[in-house]
Amino acid sequence: MSTLLQQLANGVVQGALIALIALGYTMVYGIIQLINFAHGEVFMVGAYGGLATYTWLVPDSVKDVWYVSLPLVLIGGVAVSVAVALVMERFAYRPLRNAPRLAPLITALGVSVFLQEFVRNFYPNATAALPFPGVFVQGQLVLGPIRVGYSGILLIFVSVILSVLLQTYINRSRMGRAMRATAQDPDTAKLMGVNPDRVIVLTFVLGAVLAGVAGVLFGTYLNNINTDMGFQTGIFAFTAAVLGGVGSIRGAVVGAFIIGLVKSLAGQYMPGGTQYDYVWIFVMLILVLVFRPQGLFGEPERVRA
Amino acid sequence: MSKIANTVKPFARPLAIVGGVLLIVAALLPWVTFALNSGNYPDRATLQYFDAPFQVTGFRWHMLLLGVLVLVAVFAPIPSKARVIRSLGWGGLAVALINSIFITTEGGGLGAITASDGNVAFGGIVGIVAGLAVIFAGTGLGIELPAKWNIKLARPWAYLVLVVTFAAVLFAVAQTLTAGGQGGPANPYAGGLFLSFLGFAAGLLTALNGFGLIGWISELSEKHRAFSVVVLLACALLLPFTNAGSEYWMTVAANIGIYAATAIGLNIVVGLAGLLDLGYVAFMGIGAVVAANLSGAAASKVGIDLPFPIAAIIAAIIAGIFGAVVGSPTLRVRGDYLAIVTLAFGEIFTRSAQNNIGGLTNGANAIPGVPPLNLFGKEFNETLSIGSVELPAGVLYYVLIVLLVAGVMAIFANLKFSRIGRAWIAIREDEDAARAMGIKTGKAKILAFLVGATLAGLAGAVFAHKNGTVSYESFKFLESVTLLAAVILGGMGSIPGAVLGASLLFVLPEKLREFSDYRLMIFGLALVLIMRFRPQGLVPDRHRRAELAGEDVGGVPVDEVHEHDTKGATA
Repeated sequence: MSTLLQQLANGVVQGALIALIALGYTMVYGIIQLINFAHGEVFMVGAYGGLATYTWLVPDSVKDVWYVSLPLVLIGGVAVSVAVALVMERFAYRPLRNAPRLAPLITALGVSVFLQEFVRNFYPNATAALPFPGVFVQGQLVLGPIRVGYSGILLIFVSVILSVLLQTYINRSRMGRAMRATAQDPDTAKLMGVNPDRVIVLTFVLGAVLAGVAGVLFGTYLNNINTDMGFQTGIFAFTAAVLGGVGSIRGAVVGAFIIGLVKSLAGQYMPGGTQYDYVWIFVMLILVLVFRPQGLFGEPERVRA
Repeated sequence: MSKIANTVKPFARPLAIVGGVLLIVAALLPWVTFALNSGNYPDRATLQYFDAPFQVTGFRWHMLLLGVLVLVAVFAPIPSKARVIRSLGWGGLAVALINSIFITTEGGGLGAITASDGNVAFGGIVGIVAGLAVIFAGTGLGIELPAKWNIKLARPWAYLVLVVTFAAVLFAVAQTLTAGGQGGPANPYAGGLFLSFLGFAAGLLTALNGFGLIGWISELSEKHRAFSVVVLLACALLLPFTNAGSEYWMTVAANIGIYAATAIGLNIVVGLAGLLDLGYVAFMGIGAVVAANLSGAAASKVGIDLPFPIAAIIAAIIAGIFGAVVGSPTLRVRGDYLAIVTLAFGEIFTRSAQNNIGGLTNGANAIPGVPPLNLFGKEFNETLSIGSVELPAGVLYYVLIVLLVAGVMAIFANLKFSRIGRAWIAIREDEDAARAMGIKTGKAKILAFLVGATLAGLAGAVFAHKNGTVSYESFKFLESVTLLAAVILGGMGSIPGAVLGASLLFVLPEKLREFSDYRLMIFGLALVLIMRFRPQGLVPDRHRRAELAGEDVGGVPVDEVHEHDTKGATA
């Protein structure tokens, strides 16, 4: 019983992390129907940006004071993520907006491989996993049989708060309305005075902010980052977005928590253990695609003109 | 063919002459002022002027040749003059730039290509200037369409031309393969010399294309299709008799062949049906694992030893079944999801193989000792002597793989122009419209997947026997990316494109060992750049080119768009 509770807690933390990334996938797909393979890499560069900030920019005197260094590291990570996402959108995706469907997909794959290899080759010592500082309260919260690191609790809080903020922003603000209009019908939205370029850039920026925060918090939680983390976590996040219904904010978050729980429970209870935990996630992805392709909260696929 | 509303700039002709002369001068100047860290730069480029006749070799000879050709093109009354001159200029610029970059980065610094210790060596800089001058001059002359020849030949003459051409292709392939020599620490400049040769060859080929020769010959070979196929096959089988006929080059050529066959299989899925398959090497891996287990290798769990043809067929069938199973969940959703499902499948395969699933893959230890193929008591990895000619080891594998590639090409060509091939292309272009036209899209998509996976399984079976070891390391996601890059670089839907792409992407790492860390980074960047600037690939498929030119006018040079228009008008 205590193992089960512990695995559930681990699963929730994983889900919170995946949710932050899945939101980026789902927003971009909702607006321009592109599976942005490189989004996982935006998360990865966020973690490396945070680490670089901590190593070179945060003064030694405040490195141990978490309430000073954590915000600085977060800002550094988010800045790098956003910069990468902006460059990627401007130079890789925007020129291909009217190209055949396969072209941007292949470009996204190329950007993903490029970013991963670029960081591996040029970040100092990044060919192996790097230690990440624990820029938060150390120690664990003990609730009966469950132990969760404080940084894990932080991850859950931040993830939930940011998701709610994002949902509110998209539902209430003027730009949010423009985003929803563009997702529904880009041509009509354009006629109504929405500037599609601005909407798309905003979408990429919002996704990158969440991914940058996720990257830094991931490092703080696991104290270890490597260049593969974006690819691995990216696939899980995309699966979560599909499970929840691509294009739906609420769906992405719910899907992410389901994926996190499945991953942690399957690693514990299914044959093969943690070596095969992702297999069950992919089995779930395939089952969703076969039986409910629109996902839990998605609308049935519309034929686009 | 007339010029497209372009005026000849007055400076163009003199500039072309100056550029051509400078190319020749650059070839005769010294290129390096001192011996570099890894020794003298080859082709006597280190502080050597052209001091004796007939001694300009290697890249300096290529440059000299390009310069002479520019001058000939300026003065001779040839068709599509400007286009030819511009292509030669690009070739000269590539040779000069690549060698200069290599000289400066191989421990020379800028001093190595300018002046140092009282020595001067401006060959590289003069070459770059000359190349740029020729390109500008060519553009200033007003770029025309590639020339078209209307020369009809009687059958025997046409056959003669084709035989000579394919012999020249064989020679060029052998030269390219061995250009720069075997890469590695003993030969630090192999990569630079190879790239330089590629630049020279590409410049020359585009010039010949502009001149109209290549178009004419491809029309000729189209007309005498059967004859061309036979001669081409014979030429491929003659490669061991050229200067590429050593064990090392045979191994390289055989490896390229395996990946070329796989790339053609992937081209069916991606190029024809337009389904992005990111786990394609997993099918090759399945084929390899099945073949290894049925080969009687000591580490195999299934203790039976089947003859290779039967094992290969079983491997292909099992891979094909997996292909159909993996493809089926995506029938109801858009093709994009297929990319994710195949990616997931590829990961599952790699991880399962790594964890030795069912004891079939032997995990991280791989399956060693897969016996080499054996025919009439002759092991395929031995040397072979025909009469008095001793052929290097690996020749038999090379022959087998040439036949495999030829077979896969035949399958591809037949499928492409069949009913199902047209259905695939229709699905690629517009799935809803295809369905409205009565195509059973689900069935066709699964079939594409099945065929592609079957071919990959077959290639995997050959791979297992040729390499003797089957490890999950050979079938990782990044190998899939490399194959996809090969297909896209060559041109989606085009057979020569897939072969060219596979050859380039698997020869380059062999030559450029010192850049092996950057290999995947460059492939990733290449995917982005190709999609942006040349989505139709190096050797575009004719239909595909028309579509892409129509949709993305911004990314295609104006002359090519016009070419497409005129083609449409005459067709």
